[in-house]
Amino acid sequence: MFAIARSELIQIFRNRLVLVTSLVMPVAVSAFFIYRHEAFATIGSLGYIAAIVMFTVGAFGLYTTAVTTLASRRQNLFLKRLRSTAAGDRTILAGLLLPVTVLSVVQIGVILTVFGVVSGRPGDIPLLAAAAVATIAMMVGLALATAGLTNSPEHAQVTTLPISIGVIAIASWVGISGTEELTLLKRLLPGGAATEMVVDAWNGSASLILLAPTLAWVVVAVALAARLFRWEPRR
Amino acid sequence: MSTPVIEVDKLNLKYGEFHAVKDLSFEVRPGELYALLGTNGAGKTSALETVEGHRQATSGTVRVFGHDPGDRKAVRPRMGIMLQESGFSPDLTVRESVNLIGQLTARQDDTGRVLDVVGLTRKAGTLVSQLSGGEKRRLDFATAVYGTPELIFLDEPTTGLDIQSRDSLWESVDRLRENGSTIVLTTHYLEEAQQRADRIGLMHQGVLRREGTVGELTRTLPSHIRFAAGPQPLPLASTERDGVTVIETFQLQKDLHVLLGWAQDHGVELRDLSAGPTSLDDVFRAIEA
Repeated sequence: MFAIARSELIQIFRNRLVLVTSLVMPVAVSAFFIYRHEAFATIGSLGYIAAIVMFTVGAFGLYTTAVTTLASRRQNLFLKRLRSTAAGDRTILAGLLLPVTVLSVVQIGVILTVFGVVSGRPGDIPLLAAAAVATIAMMVGLALATAGLTNSPEHAQVTTLPISIGVIAIASWVGISGTEELTLLKRLLPGGAATEMVVDAWNGSASLILLAPTLAWVVVAVALAARLFRWEPRR
Repeated sequence: MSTPVIEVDKLNLKYGEFHAVKDLSFEVRPGELYALLGTNGAGKTSALETVEGHRQATSGTVRVFGHDPGDRKAVRPRMGIMLQESGFSPDLTVRESVNLIGQLTARQDDTGRVLDVVGLTRKAGTLVSQLSGGEKRRLDFATAVYGTPELIFLDEPTTGLDIQSRDSLWESVDRLRENGSTIVLTTHYLEEAQQRADRIGLMHQGVLRREGTVGELTRTLPSHIRFAAGPQPLPLASTERDGVTVIETFQLQKDLHVLLGWAQDHGVELRDLSAGPTSLDDVFRAIEA
C-alpha cells in the first residue's frame, strides 16, 4: 500500500494541474473566507466559515482530485497493471487514495488552526474532528462511486459537478439558514448533518447523534462504489 | 510426468450474447514454452486473461500452480505478466515504474539489473511519457521478468520492437528458460512461435482447433516443392499459380528425388527451386478455410 501511495504522491507533485486543483485552489478559497471572516460571520456564524472551509477542501481537494486520479489511472491501464501484481484490490485503492486523503486532512487541520488563531478557539475540538473525519470518509466513498461512472479525467470535470457543487450548496444552505426549519431534510442531505455538527461544535457544542446521517452516507457511497467501480476501461 | 503449471478445463467465457471462448482445455507443463495462437478475435486474449486472473470464467476451471488464479497472494509472486497494452503512469520515471511494480510482485531483484537486461539503463531517469512505443514494450517486459518468476506470460511481446530489441528480448527469454521458467506466449509473428514454441495451441472463433508441437501441426498438411513455371510435362502432379509451379507432397524426399532425376535426365533447369515443409502460416490458412 505504501509503495503505491509513495508513487501517487510523486505523481501529484509532478502533475501541476492536479497540484493546483487539489492544493492551491482550496487553500486560496479558504484564505479568502478567513480574511473576510467578519463579513461572512454576519451572514452565518464563525462555525459556518469552518464548515465551508471543510467542504471546499473535501469537494475540490479530495473528491474531485480522487475521481480524476482514479479515472486517469484506469484509462491508461495503470489499474490493470497494479492488478497484475500480488497486491489485492483494497490495498491498491487504499494506496491510490491515501496521499490525497492525507493531504486533505492536513489542509483542513492547518486551515482551521489558522482560523482558530485568527477568530478565537472553537468550542468543542473533539466533536469538530469527528465531523471532519466522517465528512472525509463520505467524500472518499462518493469519489469511488463517481469514478465508476467516469470514463476519463476529462469526463470527471462533468461527473464530479453534481456532488462537489451539491455538498457546498447544502453546507451553505444549512450553515446560513440553520436547521430549525426543514430539520429532517437538511440533516438527511449529504453533508447537511456534518455542516450542522461543525457549526455547532465551533460555536459551542454539538450533538454526537449528528454523526449518524454522515456515516450512513459513507455506507451508501461504499455500497454504490462496490456496484459501480470498474478496473478496466469500457471497450 | 510432473504436475502442470497451468491446467485449463472446459473453460467458457461469455460477454453478454457473445461466446468468446468455448470449452477450452489445455495444459502447460513446467519449463515449457507454450504458444497460444489464433486469428484476430479468436479469444486468445480472453483466455489468457482468465488464466492470468484478470477475468472470471463463465464456466469451467482454471488452475495455476494448483491455485485459483484469482488468489493473487498465492499465485502472483510466482508469475510475471507482460500485458498486451502498456499500463504505466506517464508521470513516473522508468526506474520508479520498475521499482513500484517490482515491489508489488513480492519478488526480490535489483532494479538496475532488470533495466540492464532490457537495455533501458540509459533511460532509467526518463519519464514514461517520453518513451517510444518499443521502449514501453521493453519496460513492460522488465516488470514481467523482475525477480525471475517461475511462470511468465508474454502477450504480443515483440509488437513494435525493432529487430535488435526483438533479438535481445528472445535472448533474455532463452536465459529465463535455462533457469527453468515456463513461458506462455501469444504473438502475431508466427515464425517466432515456429522457432521457439515447444507446443502450440491454435484457436479459431473461441475454439482450440489444433494443438501439438510445430512438427505435429505442420505434418498434417503437405510439404511444397516450388519452381518457376515452364518445363512440361512433369513426372508429378502439380498446380500452377502466378507463374510458379507447386507440387504438394507428403513424401518430400522421395518426390524431390523423382523431380531432380527427371530434370537431370532431360537437361531441364528448375529456376527458383525451393522445397520445404509447410509453415505455420499454411496451418493458419487451412484453419480459416
